[in-house]
Amino acid sequence: MRSSYVKLSLLLVFVVCAALSTPSARAVAVTGQGPTFASIGPLTFGADGTLFAADNQNAAIFALDLGAQASGGAQGTKALDALDQKLAALLGTAAAEISITDLAVDPRTQNSYVSVMRGRGNDAAPALFRVDGAGKIDMLSLASMKFSKVELPNAPVANTTGRQNPRSNSITDLAFTDGRLWVAGLSNEEFSSKLRAIPYPFNTIDAGTSVEIYHGNHQAVETRSPVFAFVPYMVNGQPNLVAGYLCTPLVKFPISSLKPGEKVRGTTVAELGAGNRPLDMILYKKDGKDFLLMSNSSRGVMKIPAADIATAAPITTPVTTPTGGIPYETIASMQGVQQLDLLNAQNSIVLTSANGAMNLQVQPLP
Amino acid sequence: MISRVLRTLAVATLVAAAAACSRSDASQASAPSIQLVPASGATPARIEVTGLSSAALDDLRDARLTPDQWPSLLRVAVAEDGPAMVGSYDIGDGSVRFTPAFRFDPGREYHVRFDPSVVAGALIPPVAARVGLPARVTGPTTVVERVYPTADLVPENLLRVYVEFSAPMGRKSGLEYVQLLDDRGKPIEGPFLPLDYEFWSPDHRRFTLFFDPGRVKDGILPNRQMGKPLHAGRSYTLVISREWKDGEGQPLKSEYRRVFRVGPARTKALDTATWDVTAPEAGGREPLVVSFREPLDHGLLMRALGVRLNDAAVVGDVRIEPGERRWVFTPRDPWRAATYHLLALSILEDVAGNQIGRAFEVDNFDTVDKSPDPQTVLIPFNVPAATGS
Repeated sequence: MRSSYVKLSLLLVFVVCAALSTPSARAVAVTGQGPTFASIGPLTFGADGTLFAADNQNAAIFALDLGAQASGGAQGTKALDALDQKLAALLGTAAAEISITDLAVDPRTQNSYVSVMRGRGNDAAPALFRVDGAGKIDMLSLASMKFSKVELPNAPVANTTGRQNPRSNSITDLAFTDGRLWVAGLSNEEFSSKLRAIPYPFNTIDAGTSVEIYHGNHQAVETRSPVFAFVPYMVNGQPNLVAGYLCTPLVKFPISSLKPGEKVRGTTVAELGAGNRPLDMILYKKDGKDFLLMSNSSRGVMKIPAADIATAAPITTPVTTPTGGIPYETIASMQGVQQLDLLNAQNSIVLTSANGAMNLQVQPLP
Repeated sequence: MISRVLRTLAVATLVAAAAACSRSDASQASAPSIQLVPASGATPARIEVTGLSSAALDDLRDARLTPDQWPSLLRVAVAEDGPAMVGSYDIGDGSVRFTPAFRFDPGREYHVRFDPSVVAGALIPPVAARVGLPARVTGPTTVVERVYPTADLVPENLLRVYVEFSAPMGRKSGLEYVQLLDDRGKPIEGPFLPLDYEFWSPDHRRFTLFFDPGRVKDGILPNRQMGKPLHAGRSYTLVISREWKDGEGQPLKSEYRRVFRVGPARTKALDTATWDVTAPEAGGREPLVVSFREPLDHGLLMRALGVRLNDAAVVGDVRIEPGERRWVFTPRDPWRAATYHLLALSILEDVAGNQIGRAFEVDNFDTVDKSPDPQTVLIPFNVPAATGS
């Protein structure tokens, strides 16, 4: 059935090409010691223990070699109440003066890494902490850390000489799979939705793939709506990215289709509700079945049977109910989740907001 | 390693005790003093403990404390029972010093305790103090300077609103401080997308609000459930609470209110053929003025239009006139008598998200739009020779 579809309006990702040039792969990597972040977070780990950390303010991604700072702690992560207050105290300030920007677990040690911005305004400074299995909190020394860095391409500019408005960039999520770092992000002025793969070790960066989706609840093909969280997942033996969008379609993209410079439409497999922003996604196995756990800004934590991502009928027509496609279960025991990651085969690690404090909790996988 | 440290501490204690006994030096037992030394030039603010004898300082130096041991000697914290701040320690000429990894907050009280008993036994009494830098700000000063679009009349499908502040704001989302009231003063429920810190400008002076496009289009679920946020023919008030905190943690100096009227939706692609390009004469630096039939997005206007001469960018300054219907370009160098081009990126939009050649609403479900982004449009204009030249 055909009707008029809204070509949605949001914005998106770091549009490619510097002013007016044809997008193509280009050498970008910088290596050194002592990474200089203007801002820090989101975070994700590579298989070899490399910690990837986005610098949204500079539209850059650092690959951090944690070196000896990754070892020496007790295995695991111990739950800590009022983590924000503890981190703020180490930073010599109050909890209201810091923002926790992400949480990621080192799969080798199961220690949790927490990225923080200290300060409120444009002089806010980044910090990176490790929480170990004994509850010890260490601030990592960035000055001694080896890194490589990749800068995302500039936004297009026609007026290269005059004053321009400060444009906002934001990398919303990162995921590492099969030797490549996948990046999703958005801008307040850009208008193309992109997923970008950056081979690691960093060497070149390409134009990214423009992605569009059918949003059943909006009765719309959305070319610009931003991806807020995504995970790599094998669908029928093929590597896919499963992505959560604003307001909240769940969409799969075969990685083989995500070719630089192309435009690709994903397959929408669920509509998970309006007025919502996905925050984090993890995959886990329980009783022999795969599940996707997704935290949200206003719709709690959803448990989604991942096998259904392969078999669900694509949503290609309007969804007139609040949700549609793959059914999900809202996990009542997981309230106020602001950050979520997989801790081990049995547990998640979450940062929850309750009674004015941010608590680091170990929660059994539901 | 630990046993070596303990041995060192024991020796240091003995040495200090012997020195104190043999010299009968009263200053050895006098209380050290603690002070916060403000930043000076490139040297950051630090804590200094003074009043220690050179022998005592030597003892402390010889103890070779590890980073984990230092806070038991000199502890700087935001609360009496809280953990020590992260920072570096050293022993200089006449003092023991702590330099925090992050600056001391102006106006915050820090608890400092110096307890040399861990090294020198009880010969030097422990001391404690509360120190701090003076507060920088005495009251609210930040205001909302302007809100874009600036026109009094906006379309029903308005997409984006920029809020500009006079000073950097805090990092957190401002959505909770923004209300949209209808013409009866009733708040509109959830008119804006649930975005967060993503839409601060790097200098934290501009925040972008997005109307939820799902509520703008007739007939679709969010619209049926919650209704349109804006209706043509009615007036609305944007209210920004003074409780929104700036980068100093201060509320705004005053609440911001702005009344605007709503007209019909704009649903057509931008057509550059309708633009009015007024070219100046050669030889001077009078501005080039480009006028539009509808208000365009302020943020994109600042960077999606430019001037070219022989494929090279013409250097100059851009100004957007109130109402966002006129783009004014003043060149750095005088105009030459030649054919210039106005260059427009296709990402330029009106305030409802309609781009050059591509409307907000299109029917393309069966095909993937392969057009690359951004495309460019070149609009030639002639700069005539100056009259009388």
